[in-house]
Amino acid sequence: MKVIAFLNNKGGVGKTTCSRLMAEYLSKVKRIPTLGIDFDPQCNFSHQYLSMEIDPAAPEGLMPPLHPDYNPHDPDDADWDGRSSIAEIFYGQGVIPYPTYVENLDFAPGHAERLLAAEAVRKSEVVDKVHRQLTGFLSSPDVCEAYQAVVIDTAPSKGPLTVSVMKAATHIVIPSVMEEQPVQGIYGMLQLWMQESLTREKSNPLTLIGILPNMFKQTRLHKDILKSLQDNAAIGKYILPIKLCQRIVFAEIDAEEATPRSIFDFPDHHVARCEALEVCEHLAERILNHG
Amino acid sequence: MAKKKRFGVSQALTRGLTETINVVENNAGIFRNTVLPLSRIELDPENPRKLAIDLLDIRQGIQATDPWVSQKQEELERLKELAATIASTGVINPIVVYKRGDIYRVVAGERRCLASVLAGKQEIDARVFNEKPKGFDLKLVQWVENTARDDLSLDERLDNIRDLIKEYCVQYGDVPITATLLKDITSLSLPQATYYLTVLNAPDDVKTLIKDGTLRSLDKAALIASITAPAVRQEAITACIEGYSLKQLRSIVTKNKILTTKKVIVPNVKRRGRTSTRVNMGYTANPKVVKQLIDAVLLQERYKKYVATFNSVNWDYLDQATKAFRQLIDILELEQVG
Ligand SMILES: Nc1ncnc2c1ncn2[C@@H]1O[C@H](COP(=O)(O)OP(=O)(O)O)[C@@H](O)[C@H]1O
Ligand SMILES: [Mg+2]
Repeated sequence: MKVIAFLNNKGGVGKTTCSRLMAEYLSKVKRIPTLGIDFDPQCNFSHQYLSMEIDPAAPEGLMPPLHPDYNPHDPDDADWDGRSSIAEIFYGQGVIPYPTYVENLDFAPGHAERLLAAEAVRKSEVVDKVHRQLTGFLSSPDVCEAYQAVVIDTAPSKGPLTVSVMKAATHIVIPSVMEEQPVQGIYGMLQLWMQESLTREKSNPLTLIGILPNMFKQTRLHKDILKSLQDNAAIGKYILPIKLCQRIVFAEIDAEEATPRSIFDFPDHHVARCEALEVCEHLAERILNHG
Repeated sequence: MAKKKRFGVSQALTRGLTETINVVENNAGIFRNTVLPLSRIELDPENPRKLAIDLLDIRQGIQATDPWVSQKQEELERLKELAATIASTGVINPIVVYKRGDIYRVVAGERRCLASVLAGKQEIDARVFNEKPKGFDLKLVQWVENTARDDLSLDERLDNIRDLIKEYCVQYGDVPITATLLKDITSLSLPQATYYLTVLNAPDDVKTLIKDGTLRSLDKAALIASITAPAVRQEAITACIEGYSLKQLRSIVTKNKILTTKKVIVPNVKRRGRTSTRVNMGYTANPKVVKQLIDAVLLQERYKKYVATFNSVNWDYLDQATKAFRQLIDILELEQVG
């Protein structure tokens, strides 16, 4: 099972957009049984596939809707409130993924309050536990049997949630806008990548597929920063040869009422679809064929 | 016309990115940082440290019949202090081990292992190498670890350096070890590296005193080792044993004026048969002495013509006196005094 995560501790660089493209590409285009996981308390990724609800316990936060399999009259469900988020892993409960409108794509949504609680943990023994939960969940036989690929969206942070994703992933991608602040976010992620890489067995590396330029514009700023990264001997080889340009469609498909909802349902020659396809094909090639 | 502005990533950020990537590329898969059960750890009998106490002594207690019982008791007392800090805060640096079948053998950090067991810990933070580090790398890791410790004797430190140099030569060929090279491979300071080399090449009397623990400080040992005249060296040794400070020892050397310069680290023996090619005229801190000598020479008939040469010398200045003295020597050589 391949576990791919999109990370950058700066917000608004395209983590959620890329997670979405990749999840839909693998499930819809490649027909691979895929699990999407939302590890960001903001729950943007979840909201693409499920009608997230306002959490009465934390009015600013979202929580998953009732699960379609939940039956309040079934005695088996007596101890269940009918909702299941990925945050259950921190509370010793099972996670029951939701089906989505995308073929072959299941989803484990976020739950703002519970993810924030895990993120806020500071005591070293507890942090350790948080770090290990996602790896534990993804290596459970049920999950391994049901899915061949997992796509994880992450919070813009370097905290326990992000570290758990680093520990659970087989491949990571760092989307970034070619501007100073997001590039600083690349540095934060590379440091976590370094720490995690130095705990791994040789047979189980954490592969950094690379840095994916996003929202690229043909401006001097973007071109110069991209070039200065490409020209650097060490960093250059991690700058992916593909990129996503700044295109309004990528933002428009976020809307619930958008039609079609998936970029891969756009006409074959649509420029945004072609670009998304090229990016996802490249990433998938690296993930599926090169270990 | 103004040039178009070029954008880029700041130098500091570029350096950070580069360094981070290099660390991963150079190290990932070679070792990993993890937590190991202490029950799976064994000490390395080839470690240059000379602790008598071992894991068995900690686990089962020191046997009364053990020939090393008193030394082990002493070591145990010292380990207890470390165990107390480990009990409260854990080990600060991970130990370094390599995998040997099911067991992990300690490359660096035996005291931390022993003290952790003593503190009742079950696990320890470790850096695990997949295979035994090569000779030189192994010694280097041990050296780096050992430099952080303050309970190593000078003798043990010298042993470590000697091993390190030996392994370096095995791995990289028989190159002459200079202070600069030693500095580069150990990241010691240049003066420290120079001291170590001087002491490694010390005359036998100095070596004996280091071995038996009489001479314990590196800088004092280096100072004494660099004294070539046996009598003066003996004087310095005696003073050192009596507890003279480094400064006081230096003044003994200055008094005898035979402190050799840094580049003369050639061992004594080699100098013995060499024929001298010139006379050392000695030193003085008093420029008036030079004036007196020159005056005495100029009194002689054949040197009267040189009086003017020395008219403008200000005898309060050492450098002017030195220059004048050199001129005097030149003159004397020129006139072939016999
Ligand atoms: N290539 C792109 N072109 C146009 N808009 C984009 C592009 N990538 C992302 N966006 C938009 O930018 C905003 C931030 O992107 P998002 O993926 O949510 O970033 P993150 O998850 O890193 O915070 C969203 O509104 C998204 O729709
Ligand atoms: Mg996001």
